[in-house]
Amino acid sequence: MAERILKFSDAIKEATDQMLAEDKRVYVLGLGVPQGAGGTTNGLHEKYPGRVLDTPTSEASLTGLAVGSAIAGLRPIVHHDRVEFSLLAADQMFTQAAKWNYMFGGGNPVPITIRIVVGRQWGNGPQHSQALYSMFGAVRGLKVVIPSTPYMAKGLLIAAAREPNPVIILEPRWLYGTKQDVPTEMYEVPLSKAKVVRKGKDITVVAYGDGLVSSLEALDIIGSKASVELIDVVSINPLDIATIRKSVAKTGRLLCVDTTSEAFGIGSEVIAGVMKTQTLKVKPVSLACPNVPCPTSTSLTEFWYPTKVDIANKVLSMLKKGGVKQKLSFEELHLAPSLTLK
Amino acid sequence: MAVASTKKKSAQENVLLKAYTHMLKLRVAQQELVKFYLDKKIFSMVHFYIGQEAVAVGVTDALTPNDKTMGNHRSHGHYLAKGGNFRALICELLGRSNGLAKGKGGSMHMIDKSVNFAGSTPLLGSVAPLAAGSAFEQKYNKRGTVTAAFYGDGASEEGVVYETYNLAGLYKLPVLFVIENNGLSINSRIKDRRAPGYDLKKIVEGYGLTYERANGNDYHDVHDKARALVEGIRANHKPAVLECMVYRHMAHSTPLTEEKYRNDDTLEKRQQHDPVKNLAGELIASGVPEKKLVALEEELRASMQSDIAFALKSPYPKKKELYTDMYSN
Ligand SMILES: Cc1ncc(C[n+]2csc(CCOP(=O)(O)OP(=O)(O)O)c2C)c(N)n1
Repeated sequence: MAERILKFSDAIKEATDQMLAEDKRVYVLGLGVPQGAGGTTNGLHEKYPGRVLDTPTSEASLTGLAVGSAIAGLRPIVHHDRVEFSLLAADQMFTQAAKWNYMFGGGNPVPITIRIVVGRQWGNGPQHSQALYSMFGAVRGLKVVIPSTPYMAKGLLIAAAREPNPVIILEPRWLYGTKQDVPTEMYEVPLSKAKVVRKGKDITVVAYGDGLVSSLEALDIIGSKASVELIDVVSINPLDIATIRKSVAKTGRLLCVDTTSEAFGIGSEVIAGVMKTQTLKVKPVSLACPNVPCPTSTSLTEFWYPTKVDIANKVLSMLKKGGVKQKLSFEELHLAPSLTLK
Repeated sequence: MAVASTKKKSAQENVLLKAYTHMLKLRVAQQELVKFYLDKKIFSMVHFYIGQEAVAVGVTDALTPNDKTMGNHRSHGHYLAKGGNFRALICELLGRSNGLAKGKGGSMHMIDKSVNFAGSTPLLGSVAPLAAGSAFEQKYNKRGTVTAAFYGDGASEEGVVYETYNLAGLYKLPVLFVIENNGLSINSRIKDRRAPGYDLKKIVEGYGLTYERANGNDYHDVHDKARALVEGIRANHKPAVLECMVYRHMAHSTPLTEEKYRNDDTLEKRQQHDPVKNLAGELIASGVPEKKLVALEEELRASMQSDIAFALKSPYPKKKELYTDMYSN
């Protein structure tokens, strides 16, 4: 079949469109969704009147309403434009939606999908660029996924919207402009499974979201110098540690890439999960952001996120091979990528 | 008599000229920032304040230098109106180490305690309880000062804001909540966000607070109402809400006059209600020579351009600065 290259944001929109068409119970709620929500919902309010709704600037209440309607049998897709905004609805997500079925002894599904954008982007600073993955990973009763490509974005959203449980999708805005060949038809990407993206035998690299894309680019830098097995975490709640263990059993080396602070990071959780059952050839490494808030000045954020060069060099040094020298341009460091992924 | 009234008139004119100068300062600052933004020199999310100047200046003029103000994501104007330093502001926007927050915060995080601008935060609604907390301290330590919080119609829909009206009323805090109602929350129109019959006056008064609505395009109306409210707050510690009806002249966070979503507040309407232009007209009508106003604008612009030139030569923070300031000593 001919390739069809779609942007990350368009892939989300297509999945939303198809879900609205497939299931009358699905509706979309969030501030600004009729106007587009970053190009992920625009036009849909005209196609599905009364089912793509703007809201007051009231995250707690709109999320709670969506949870309540899910309990009653609808299938809302809620959109929050940043993690920080969603925190105003923390009770509704973490304590209501996540616990409802369990605390009533089952039989009380909460089929809600909450799309939350993670705000890595130039100029966003301490209050607009937190990822807070670990917070979402720590709450029992939620399913939490992080799409890393347009293909994943579409398939995960469809799986989430068909799921009888509360699913949080943490979407890296950094990736909204990336492109990929995406099938036209509906398909699901399983919610609770990690994915081996590239097979290899020397070292296992575990990454997610924006870090997964940087890792893919790092593989190009590494070339034939090392055989890397790259795993996309995909699901941080629950964490599919079995897939990672299987890979590490083969490679004996583990590098985790985190695009948030190291403390309580996904890397720490993966390393703990692996080390409980396995012995490695070299110490595991977590390549992560510093344990301070993300500042605004580009002269500081330059050092905040691990780059493709950092990842490549860490892989090479863990294999006792010489590193590469490559200076990244301002654009590469600070502007969101628009590359086409394989 | 005639002499006295002329004197009074010229005193009034001076007050007005001062207010105009402040508003013009905000306007010219924003215009210079627009050029800069379009040249892709600013890597900090910027929300332009053009069109809302009469609110920041009208309210701040009703306060004393010891009173405090706090703001939101759109706070360049709130900060400058409090006597803020444009040079430190532009250094912050350019991420330089001599900016207001050493480059760590950026455009959405104005702070300058030397002029009692106590901080701004882009998390909508958060400023309401924070300002109430500032007022709590003012009352607790019997300072006799007040705190004013600036936020928009969007932010005013957050649950925490309604909770704060109750709390501020309960503790009788010296706080003035200033809502800049420009009818938009990013691109969501107020009529798509409010229940039919929604009545903020009734809501606020239902909490026992004082409510006033002002024409936010008119310096006089804002200032007169703010002054009366602040006097009331000082006299009886009854918090108040001042809702100012304004126009956001540009798009939410880009300096474009994006028209797609703006059927109600058209470009024509916005220009017709331009607070700076209208105050200039009033001054000219009262006899101030137009030449004087033009010279004033040129002077402000030149001074700001020299601040920008200074900022462009200012140093960036060093890598080690990443690790400083997380905790206080
Ligand atoms: C809690 C929260 N939710 C959403 C946002 C995203 N956001 C930033 S500015 C804005 C519009 C705010 O409108 P308003 O408060 O009226 O202020 P204006 O931008 O019109 O000055 C929104 C929704 C936010 N910053 N914080």
